[in-house]
Amino acid sequence: MKRWGLTVGFVVLCLALLAVLAKGFGKDPHEVPFGMRGKPAPPFQLRDLTTGAPVSLEQFRGKPVVLNFWATWCGPCKQEHPVLTWAQREYGDQVVFLGLIFEDTPENARRYLAENGTPFPQLLDPNSLTAVAYGVAGVPETYFISKDGTILDKHVGPIWPDRMTAYVKALLGKGPLPTATAEAAP
Amino acid sequence: MIGRRGWRAPLVAVVLAGSAALAAWAPQKAGTEPLPPELEARVQALGKQIRCAVCQGMSIADSPASMARAQLDMVRTMVKEGRSDEEIKAFFVERYGEFALLKPSTEGVNRLVWVVPVLVFLFGLGFAVYYVIQHKPKAEASAAQEAASEDPYVNALRSEIDR
Repeated sequence: MKRWGLTVGFVVLCLALLAVLAKGFGKDPHEVPFGMRGKPAPPFQLRDLTTGAPVSLEQFRGKPVVLNFWATWCGPCKQEHPVLTWAQREYGDQVVFLGLIFEDTPENARRYLAENGTPFPQLLDPNSLTAVAYGVAGVPETYFISKDGTILDKHVGPIWPDRMTAYVKALLGKGPLPTATAEAAP
Repeated sequence: MIGRRGWRAPLVAVVLAGSAALAAWAPQKAGTEPLPPELEARVQALGKQIRCAVCQGMSIADSPASMARAQLDMVRTMVKEGRSDEEIKAFFVERYGEFALLKPSTEGVNRLVWVVPVLVFLFGLGFAVYYVIQHKPKAEASAAQEAASEDPYVNALRSEIDR
């Protein structure tokens, strides 16, 4: 009887260790947790890259907002630029698109946008305090903010048209929120 | 052959790792102006406890990444605003989860990390003591039993020797 107890105890201990290992191995070590989902979007007042005019999140209250953090030194950001241009053309009358320049110079951003088009307002984020307030952990990242100012979700990495469409539909209350970001790439 | 969907996870992993690496290569910008010495010391001490979001286990005070600089600037801004250390750490935990802290807090489920090793050690110690106590008398008893159950000739021989 005693030997059985010892064996069962040993098996339980091994299973517990296996569970811990499975949890650890099933996790992407590069993935940074995101805690702002479902929370109020931090307010900001930033300058427009082109006009220098102040732009705040508050002025768009009542409309869904798509906030894209990007930089010219980031290859995937350039990759998704045509998708954002397309999305603005497709959904710009229902959703506000804003770009936030992350850790880059205004000159670099102006040069890139002059060559590739400026589909929607681009904002300067001195010292990237707004990016940190949103929980940005690299670029590109695209945030989807509901019309009442709640962060519905963020997309990490370059966004593709099907994903953008799904998020915009969710913002407009016409579809469910897309599932895990890891399925985003084509 | 790997299907079209089979490439998605590795591709996304490469993009994410690439994005994180690129963030470390962003053009270097100057940080905000240091605060007076006593406040700046607090900024640096807090910076040592907060993990850089794009680095591998480095604090925002030690990492040269632009993301770390941005995070440290946020700490400096909050210290300047008069926020407490706990408020500042909670700000980062709210955004990046417990991952944001290089040393996990000792509250809630995390307490298990500190308590379980001690409990396991005490359990092991208790088991060892119990084992020794249980087996020592048994060993003596079995020796005596063994001696008694031997051949009568051996017993007689032993008693001759002992005499």
